[in-house]
Amino acid sequence: MSDAGKHTVPAGTVCPTGVEEVKEIIGQRKRVLTLENRKNRNLFFGVGMALILLYYAILFVYPLAIAVIRSFYDWNPLKGSLTYTGLENYSNLFQSPLFLLSLKNTIFYTFFAVTGRVLLSLLIALALVSVTKGRDILRSTYFLPVIMPIVATSIIWVWVYHPNSGLLNMFLQAFGIGKQLFLKSPAQALPSVIAMVVWKDVGYSIIIFTAGLLGVPRELKEAAWIDGARRYQVFFSVTLPSIMPTFTFVLITAMIGYFQSFVEIFIMTGGGPGTSTYVISYLIFKEAFKGFNFGYASAISVVLFTLITLITIIQLAVLRKGNEE
Amino acid sequence: MKHTNRQDAIIMFFTYAALILMAFITLVPFIWLIASTFKSNYEIVGVPGTFFPKKVTGEHYRYILGRFNILSYFFNSLFLAVVKTTVGVYTSLYIGYMFAKFSFFGKKALYSMIVFTMTVPALVTMIPTYNMANSVNLIDSWWAIILPTVVLSFGIFMMRLYITKAVPTALLEAAQIDGAGQFFIFHRIVVPLSVNMISALSIYVFIGAWNDFLWPYLVLNTQRKYPLSVALSMLNGQNNTNYGGLFVATLLTIVPILIVYWIFQRRFIEGISMTGIK
Repeated sequence: MSDAGKHTVPAGTVCPTGVEEVKEIIGQRKRVLTLENRKNRNLFFGVGMALILLYYAILFVYPLAIAVIRSFYDWNPLKGSLTYTGLENYSNLFQSPLFLLSLKNTIFYTFFAVTGRVLLSLLIALALVSVTKGRDILRSTYFLPVIMPIVATSIIWVWVYHPNSGLLNMFLQAFGIGKQLFLKSPAQALPSVIAMVVWKDVGYSIIIFTAGLLGVPRELKEAAWIDGARRYQVFFSVTLPSIMPTFTFVLITAMIGYFQSFVEIFIMTGGGPGTSTYVISYLIFKEAFKGFNFGYASAISVVLFTLITLITIIQLAVLRKGNEE
Repeated sequence: MKHTNRQDAIIMFFTYAALILMAFITLVPFIWLIASTFKSNYEIVGVPGTFFPKKVTGEHYRYILGRFNILSYFFNSLFLAVVKTTVGVYTSLYIGYMFAKFSFFGKKALYSMIVFTMTVPALVTMIPTYNMANSVNLIDSWWAIILPTVVLSFGIFMMRLYITKAVPTALLEAAQIDGAGQFFIFHRIVVPLSVNMISALSIYVFIGAWNDFLWPYLVLNTQRKYPLSVALSMLNGQNNTNYGGLFVATLLTIVPILIVYWIFQRRFIEGISMTGIK
């Protein structure tokens, strides 16, 4: 077998030597397939490539192209209409109070959900890495709501927020605070949904931050201690810069996720009271699958996609710049 | 160190107090849910609410397991999740391996496109995909739910990363010289060496499939084909006043996930941590 080592070939290429030579080298082995090897490699590669091209052509490129193209159409399968209307969908969109409200709500929702989740999870992760006993069990507990179906946690929280019989009003009453309407109040509904998703998702970021914090070299922190730095100084000058990549990851994934929030709004408020909790995804859903205004809904989805892409690029640029300084 | 033992002890006390308070807030809604499944509907909507049931009743469990037949929805969810996980993880391995160890024309561009698909909101492609499913008569069919997850961009991404590091190219070369074919190499060398990532990705895909809601909700019309999440949202509908039944169904949707989580806890947290640090 030691001879075989001379004939190393890069992975994926075919052994250049002739069949007879290889047969000699390998001797009695059952599978001498050098020529078939080429066939096999091409077959393997061909199957994979066919799968990739078919899948992404049919379920990504085509639908994406249709969404963009038909956002310039009056497209309603219920009415059977499909006529080019130029920028009409877009101009209607930016004049629609409901779209502007949904956009405002989406930004509000994303901002507070991301801020709440990142701050809370960073604090908890810092506390977690400073203790030794019970860390694993605490971490597993925080993670529980993350894996739950959002339909289920939303239903639970509808009842936690119930104005008459809910858990939260029961609790507030014990402190002498009067009945709150939560999801039934136009002012409190959106913040209440935000509180639910922060509660649900914070465990995910806790895991990631804990892993990041445990990766901060101990010597760095100890050096700072010896130099007489205070706790907060160590945090801002040593810990925070070392977990910056983790921070970026959490921030961007959270933001992209919350920009598309749908199920919690669908289950908890249905956009209400009135239209006070409409977010962009919910508006797309309503327009597309209740009104069957596919063209108009596609235009909204193109705007949503553009916004997400822009914000991701800006965030990456800002954070990268921050990292270099 | 400037800090005295006393100071440290106080800090430690408050740290634990905060951590335990957080765990309490995480768990209380679940405990309340479990307690409420044993309350009568009358007690559930009573003013003010109660935490533990005044009088225990099993009527909601009888209704949900019996007349509502929740087990049929449970098996729908289980079937869909198992098929999606098996197929999705296999194709992720296959394609991830291709991107990790093969060189071919247009590889970089193709891979960039796959990464790009992860940033496109599902809602953008959902309307045309729905339209397409409609025109090929897949509405109200499980095929419409399974086909869109036959290939997983995220899975390919994770597998490529993992196989690049965990599978030595020299080993593949040695096998090739021994005369092993590509399929043999893939199934007998690459797959066994990727077991860690396979389990992490499987759990992730399984839970994602189990929790999936919007697409099945849009595509399916026949009630007996519903997965649990859709059946649950139906129970939550406007006309339902059987709140206890809703609570039992909610609990039973969560329990299987709890079991999967409890068994694979360590793998799970490792897997999540792997995605965060690069």
